[in-house]
Amino acid sequence: MIPTLLGITIVVFAISRMAPGDPVSLAMGPVGMMDAQRAADVRAARMKLYGLDKPVYVQYAIWLGRVVRLDFADSIKHHRPVIDLIKERLPVTLTLNLISFVIIYAVSIPMGILSAVGRKKFLDRAGSVALLMLWSLPSMWVGQMLIGYLCGPPLNWFSPAGLSSNDADQLPFFQWLADRLWHLVLPVFCLTYAGLAYLTKQVRAGMLDNLRADYVRTARAKGLSNWAVIFHHAFRNSVIPIITILATLLPAMFGGSVIIERIFSVSGMGLLAFEAVTTRDYNVVMGVATIAGVLNLFGLLMADIAYAMVDPRISFESAA
Amino acid sequence: MVDNKQQKDWGTSYGEMVWKEFAKSKFTLCWLGFIILLFLLAIFAPFLANDKPFVIRIDGQLHWPIFKALTASDYSILLAAIVALTQFVLVLHNRKSVDPSIRAGVLWRQITISVFIVLVGIILLFVFIPRRLDATDYKSMVASGKATGAVFAPVPYGFGRTDLKVREQPPNRQHWLGTDDVGSDVLCRLIHGSRISLSVGFVAVGISSIIGIIIGAILGYSGGKTDFIGMRFVEIMMAVPVFFLIITIVAFFPRSLFNIMLIIGLTTWTDDARFVRAEFFKLRRQDFVQAAVSLGLPLRSILFRHMLPNAIAPVLVNASFGIAGAIFIEAALSFLGFGVAPPTPSWGQVLSLGVSTTGRFLWWLTLFPGLAIFFTVLAYNLVGETLRDAIDPRLRESV
Repeated sequence: MIPTLLGITIVVFAISRMAPGDPVSLAMGPVGMMDAQRAADVRAARMKLYGLDKPVYVQYAIWLGRVVRLDFADSIKHHRPVIDLIKERLPVTLTLNLISFVIIYAVSIPMGILSAVGRKKFLDRAGSVALLMLWSLPSMWVGQMLIGYLCGPPLNWFSPAGLSSNDADQLPFFQWLADRLWHLVLPVFCLTYAGLAYLTKQVRAGMLDNLRADYVRTARAKGLSNWAVIFHHAFRNSVIPIITILATLLPAMFGGSVIIERIFSVSGMGLLAFEAVTTRDYNVVMGVATIAGVLNLFGLLMADIAYAMVDPRISFESAA
Repeated sequence: MVDNKQQKDWGTSYGEMVWKEFAKSKFTLCWLGFIILLFLLAIFAPFLANDKPFVIRIDGQLHWPIFKALTASDYSILLAAIVALTQFVLVLHNRKSVDPSIRAGVLWRQITISVFIVLVGIILLFVFIPRRLDATDYKSMVASGKATGAVFAPVPYGFGRTDLKVREQPPNRQHWLGTDDVGSDVLCRLIHGSRISLSVGFVAVGISSIIGIIIGAILGYSGGKTDFIGMRFVEIMMAVPVFFLIITIVAFFPRSLFNIMLIIGLTTWTDDARFVRAEFFKLRRQDFVQAAVSLGLPLRSILFRHMLPNAIAPVLVNASFGIAGAIFIEAALSFLGFGVAPPTPSWGQVLSLGVSTTGRFLWWLTLFPGLAIFFTVLAYNLVGETLRDAIDPRLRESV
């Protein structure tokens, strides 16, 4: 766990330092306006200000020491502590992703079970192709189409940008909440559908594997009700892959939210990262990447723990 | 030559078995056809959409402007396509006339020769074909009556041509899918964009499969400490959000097609490594591997000659999904403005023009490139899924 965390920080740091060009030259722009000596002086002073004049490993050690205390230094563009920027943006992304997660799991598990039980029927056949189509839809396309057709002049159902109306702060609580939720509909939809399709397919596949197993036949032969066979026997054993997928969905969610947040102008972590990358704001890039990496690692860990809780055969002590 | 009787004795190979199972689904076969069609589109893009005519008569003299205007890379693609087709025919031929025991060796020799021909050909083409810029406006020549008998491509526009008089036009007679913000023909850009998408898909997945196979093979075979440390490394790669990583690298490094391929390949190998490792774990203790070890074969031979063919199935399936994923990532990168530099056309880049700078929604710049990405990704996903069902023996036995 700790070495993996360290590894993430090294990867993040290495990438930001391998990049050609540095924020100082970017901030100073073309040097033509100043005489060379003065430009060099300014440059050196700036380099010193940001600590870029020290050897790379010293820079890494200093940076790591700060990261442990959750201090990601100041944003070069915003002149504010990175952690403050992240604190502002993180809740937005977390809200989006958590809502999407809940919807994904709440919808796809029953859907997967239903389609596995009704296998070979036309509905299931058509359903599985439809799921694959849903999974293959590019989210930027869907987002742009939704904005174009639902937010435009003829319909005007949704607002194309942001997470609340301009006057949202003056609204009474319930109206404010409704306003918020209404603005969340489209981004959450775009974040949800692909994962939903993927998970439903996985649940279906897992259920099919188990429904075919001998113990299920035995359970039926004992005269158990269909309900008991499906939920107490087959489903219990299909839960493990569902948990594993949690671990693969998590990182994908963060990546997806870069696109979604940009399309819908939601100022979350994704948009922060995007802006930081385009302006070479090293500290922000590193901060966001580290936090996202740690969150993902946390998700993987949770998946491992849930894994062990569901399946008593798995224990971490006896791991070879 | 071998007569038919002996051929039957050879039985059905694993590949034939999988193919038979695969071909059962007519629906997927249609999509496989769609992928082949896309490849033809990409290979013959300059002949389908080009502002130079195939043939034109100027002052009584015949000219062939399109063939003169093709660049060395265009000719390289044609050459590679021809060699690949020959190789495919050879593979089919091998199946009928080469004994299975030596078939792998023959195949490797053929592939080596093919790759050699392609590489030498590409080098020669790049050396001998000069960079030319043919700025002649053949269309106005035809219009003014200076030239006659011109035969143009079905889409008579170049992908780099700008024409501000016709910018942001919805689909019409002249421009079947409309024009973009600088007046380029959208259909032409989509046709040429298929090259980027397909090449990114294949090269990126090639890179990631090779890395994944090598790392997975070493970890799975050696086990113990190497495996433990290696898996921590794989875990790190899994925990870093891949898309964000790619954006960061692409934004920081010079934008080129090769960089994008390389970066997608370098960041998406973790699944392959895990699959191969799991398979090698199981294979390691089997008799044929022990036999290979006791014969004193070099590690390279044990890993890749003896073990890998038994562990390649999940990689193949994953490759199909991986191509879909890589095409999607490339489109997303271009959409965000980190893709190949314009005027090189790419589907994601056209899609990003769907909302103009003034905030107007241009439906033809959104719908058509989106459909192109969607159908391509869907085709690869469908093929991957059918392939998985065909390879998975558990599903084959039951039902």
